[in-house]
Amino acid sequence: MASPDTLVPVRRAAAGSSWRAFRRSWDVLISLTISDLKVRYGRGGWRLVKWIVDPFALVGVYLVLVTLVLDRPGEAPGLSLACAVIPFQLFTTTIVNAMSAVAARRSIVLNMGFNRTLLPLSGALTETVAFGASLLLLALMMAIYGVAPTPAILWLPVVIAATLLLAIGVSYPAALLGIWMPEIGTFVMSFVRVLFFIAPGLVPLSQISGTAHDLLLINPMTGVFESYRDALLYGDAPGGFELLYPAALGVLLLVAFVPLFRAEQRQFAKILEF
Amino acid sequence: MTSIAAEGLGVRFLFDRQQRAVTPALARLRRSGEQTWGVHELEFTIGPGESVALIGPSGSGKTTVLRLIAGVFSPDVGRLDVDGRVGSLLSTEAGLLGLLTGRENAQLLGVLAGMSRARSEAALDDIKRTTHLEDAFERPVLSYSEGMKARLGFAVADHTDPDILVLDEVHEALDHEFRAIVAERAHQALRAGGIVVAAGHDHALLATFCERALWLADGRIVADGPFEDVRHAYLGQEA
Repeated sequence: MASPDTLVPVRRAAAGSSWRAFRRSWDVLISLTISDLKVRYGRGGWRLVKWIVDPFALVGVYLVLVTLVLDRPGEAPGLSLACAVIPFQLFTTTIVNAMSAVAARRSIVLNMGFNRTLLPLSGALTETVAFGASLLLLALMMAIYGVAPTPAILWLPVVIAATLLLAIGVSYPAALLGIWMPEIGTFVMSFVRVLFFIAPGLVPLSQISGTAHDLLLINPMTGVFESYRDALLYGDAPGGFELLYPAALGVLLLVAFVPLFRAEQRQFAKILEF
Repeated sequence: MTSIAAEGLGVRFLFDRQQRAVTPALARLRRSGEQTWGVHELEFTIGPGESVALIGPSGSGKTTVLRLIAGVFSPDVGRLDVDGRVGSLLSTEAGLLGLLTGRENAQLLGVLAGMSRARSEAALDDIKRTTHLEDAFERPVLSYSEGMKARLGFAVADHTDPDILVLDEVHEALDHEFRAIVAERAHQALRAGGIVVAAGHDHALLATFCERALWLADGRIVADGPFEDVRHAYLGQEA
């Protein structure tokens, strides 16, 4: 008999070619995402309204804060705020989704074997659909403030790609935390919200000086927010550091946590059982 | 060739000091608590055309063995070879998500069970017919009875053309008409060289399609042999 400390994995019938394996993973990913969208956001056109109204309401609240309370409106404050609020919402909703990604599918995880490594990615894709819809708000804000698109808007797909990479990267450690220590979910979300305020979310980086300016650069959200402002508000190409830092952090998180998640996913059903 | 072979198979559950289940990685970080074996040192082989019932008291490891075969659990020790496509119905919830309709659940579960999205979509009307869910098929599963959920879960598992059918005691939640369908499907699978492994406390139901039984107690195999012999030994020991 094998020693109790020796792990000998299950051998199952071969899955076929790598192309077939990819197609299968793709089908599973899309199916998980479609079902997640329905479970989290319901069905029909009202979802689009919700995806736009949510960030719109947040921008409205912050706009009152920045223009009336802090009296630091700056240039096109609504657009500037939307450039921070919209990508940050993707970041936070992805973390919320990831932290419950496994537990929310308890009945599936306990009933059948499938590649659970796709669960955080599926959650990130779900929130990306909502994020895609809320991008309409950016266009709306540009129209309201009369900001004409410049060639810098061509950077937007790259900026969005960097945002997605960071969100997907964060989804794996968040999903692990959700299964390891679900009780700290509230603390995690408080910490995530703080990230907005220790980044140039309310006011752009150009309005912050001194040590605070330098310290804010440590926060990867700083680069994300400023990249959107560069592409949509200032008409400049985003700085290399602004884009590379969050993207590299996303890649680093994926490299560190996807293998760990893959190893741990073998144990998820045991955790959910109790 | 369809087969299942277990050699020195074991599944271990780890708990921290607050009695919360933890993964081995987390157990290394936290102060260790207890560990318990769900099943331990299991040795068995099941060949094509064999139907095996798992019998034993609650907590004896029946569901753990089924989950190992279905790929839900991975062994912590030993070896498990599973050759063949597995169709599983392991809980009364049958892998269903309450907020999705029967149709949406059937499509998702079909893909997770190994079908392509196109094939899963194409099978939906047939699944609706098989389950006799009628209009309820288009309603959220939250409104379903246990029997309706089990019917839907079984119909999806059946449509994946499984070589190995794995059924936990949830099939006992089925009405008599659907039980007959399950038994017929099990016989079909066996005639085609497949395998059926079922667990439960309704021995009369298990006897309709199982010829062999494994008696489990405390995660170990106590007896392995013809269904009636093992059943009598188990019931005699209980008395």
